[in-house]
Amino acid sequence: MGIAEFFQHLMNGLTLGGIYALIALGYTMVYGILKFINFAHGDILMAGAYIGLFVFDGLRGDAPLGTWTMIAFFLAMLISMGFSAILGMSIERIAYKPLRGATRLAPLLSAIGVSFILSNSAAWAFGTHSRKFNYPFDNTPVHIGDVVITPHQILILSVSLIMMIILKLFIDKTRMGKAMRATSLDQGTAMLMGINVNRVISMTFAIGSALAAVGGILIALDFKVYATMGTMTGLKAFVAAVVGGIGNISGAMFGGILLGLLETFGVAIFGIPTGLKDTIAFGVLILILLIKPEGLFGKVEKEKV
Amino acid sequence: MKKSLFVCFILVALLASPLFAQGGGEASSPKIGFMGPMSGDYANYGVLSNNSTMLAVEQFNAKGGFGGKVPVVLVTEDSEGNVEKGLSAIEKLSSVDNIAGLVGPVFTGVSFAVGERVQSEGIVMISPSATHADITSIGDYVFRTVVSDGLQGEVAGNYFYGELGYRNIGVLYAKNDYSQGLYEGMTAAFEAAGGKVTIAESFQVGDKDFKTQLTKIRSEKPEAIYIPNYTAEMAQILEQATQLGMDIPFLSCDGFSNPEIYDLAGDFTDGVIYVGPAKVKESPAYSDFVAQYEAKFDVSPDSFATNAYDGANILLQAMDKVYKETGKFDRSAIRDAVAATKDYAGVSGTINFAENGDLVAYQGLYKVNGTTPEYLGSYTVVDGVLTQVD
Repeated sequence: MGIAEFFQHLMNGLTLGGIYALIALGYTMVYGILKFINFAHGDILMAGAYIGLFVFDGLRGDAPLGTWTMIAFFLAMLISMGFSAILGMSIERIAYKPLRGATRLAPLLSAIGVSFILSNSAAWAFGTHSRKFNYPFDNTPVHIGDVVITPHQILILSVSLIMMIILKLFIDKTRMGKAMRATSLDQGTAMLMGINVNRVISMTFAIGSALAAVGGILIALDFKVYATMGTMTGLKAFVAAVVGGIGNISGAMFGGILLGLLETFGVAIFGIPTGLKDTIAFGVLILILLIKPEGLFGKVEKEKV
Repeated sequence: MKKSLFVCFILVALLASPLFAQGGGEASSPKIGFMGPMSGDYANYGVLSNNSTMLAVEQFNAKGGFGGKVPVVLVTEDSEGNVEKGLSAIEKLSSVDNIAGLVGPVFTGVSFAVGERVQSEGIVMISPSATHADITSIGDYVFRTVVSDGLQGEVAGNYFYGELGYRNIGVLYAKNDYSQGLYEGMTAAFEAAGGKVTIAESFQVGDKDFKTQLTKIRSEKPEAIYIPNYTAEMAQILEQATQLGMDIPFLSCDGFSNPEIYDLAGDFTDGVIYVGPAKVKESPAYSDFVAQYEAKFDVSPDSFATNAYDGANILLQAMDKVYKETGKFDRSAIRDAVAATKDYAGVSGTINFAENGDLVAYQGLYKVNGTTPEYLGSYTVVDGVLTQVD
């Protein structure tokens, strides 16, 4: 393999990983606080992508690429984040909160149910065909020697990085972040200390879902918008979260990037047949569960993060 | 779906009753069979094709039947698109009904099983819809009025080598029967002609990211890349190839003839050359058939039903010829008469059978200019040689 091909694979892997990482953040946040895997996360991502698509197309009209399309894209992203946050909070209220005292399996099954309801409703309302989400900017690739990078790839990487830093600062520095950490450590005690646990949990779902919407829109630019778009990406992001150590925010970011690189280089260097690309993620999942179940960045000592 | 089966039985009974009344006069009434899924999930396919067979039989009898005096009887059997059901159906058609020929089966899988039976029983069979390349290699009693899947790959491989002048190409295909079949068919023809497929990468249906495969293909520097897939995947491939700065022409298949590709891929389709359906000349015979069909059944025929109508008429015409010459309905003579079909003017176009029982058919070649496909011509492969017919 030449140097150029290596760097091309590296670039492809990093962008793929950036997407996984962004979505993994949502899984990891909810798990960190509730010890519960929100399997509807991928479908919130899909809903966010649809909203983003409709708002963007509506705002853009026939305008040619330029400043206005960038503003429209930014607005679409904000509106979609808001909508997804509300959707995430409502789902929590309706389908998860009543089950908080039940066995741990109950909310998980409920989440799988919500996932099916969301994707089937989308298929019913918007049809099963893919819709194109047009780039709001000129996506002509940039050549650096023989390596090619698109503005979209740069956008994915930078947005993922910025989101992660903001999230990290939010959790470490703000009052709400402190409340989240407290709730994550011990819900009962947090409540006794005067923390509104219900509000904290709602907030967690709101932030996680807003991040999912951003991820959904960024993916949609490349992979189109369709009713089941959240399923496979959601599963892979979940694997990324587990690999990094579920409940750990830097771990999710790292796990995502690692998974993207493994998928790309597994095929390119280790000669795994391209038809088996998807099995890499799940193979890694099994390996991690067998060898280091707490994940690469997870802490072993306590049961709560 | 059961209802149409009843209608059919009633029709059979009505047609048969005057013959019973004759108390076994001269030649006993000849029967033909139809087999397809008439109930269950695939009933839509069987019912539409059975309708056209019924229509052909009715029109034939209205003109007086064989030699102007003997009407034909249609016996419809339900296969449910399932091999076991199909085998018991052919058992009944062959031994109880003693049919002179069969229109169907509709499904490829059932056709493989039933084909073996009709071959050993010596009953001629004309399938309107079994497209698998190997169906007609079962034997000389098996015919079809639908284009074989094998033709597309053959035309593609020969066209890429002969007309486009490519010597080494790459392939990116999906792991399913359709895509893999086309990849294998094209490769066989392309390499037989002297070219070489230097790299073949695959993916799972539903994948969205093809950059890894495309990066690998790019480093092999093929002259062109063949992508025999469905629109959703092809749109992704074309777009991501541009993102990787690839300037290699793309070649595709009949999946590309679905206009949705232009919504999904937009300008990225520019320059793609694909093998698609041959241009169909809208004949008056075709519009008459559709009008009569719709008037009678309140639905429109699909392309299989159109093929079934031609198949039934070819069978009836062959039986008529044999009856006029011999006064009997000898099964092997009927097979020979079907095989001898020459330039039959059917509603789906002019029909000829190749030596192996395949429909002699053509594939169209198209080149996309911007987002508009331009017709390059129609081709077929005769004895391994690419021949332009239009």
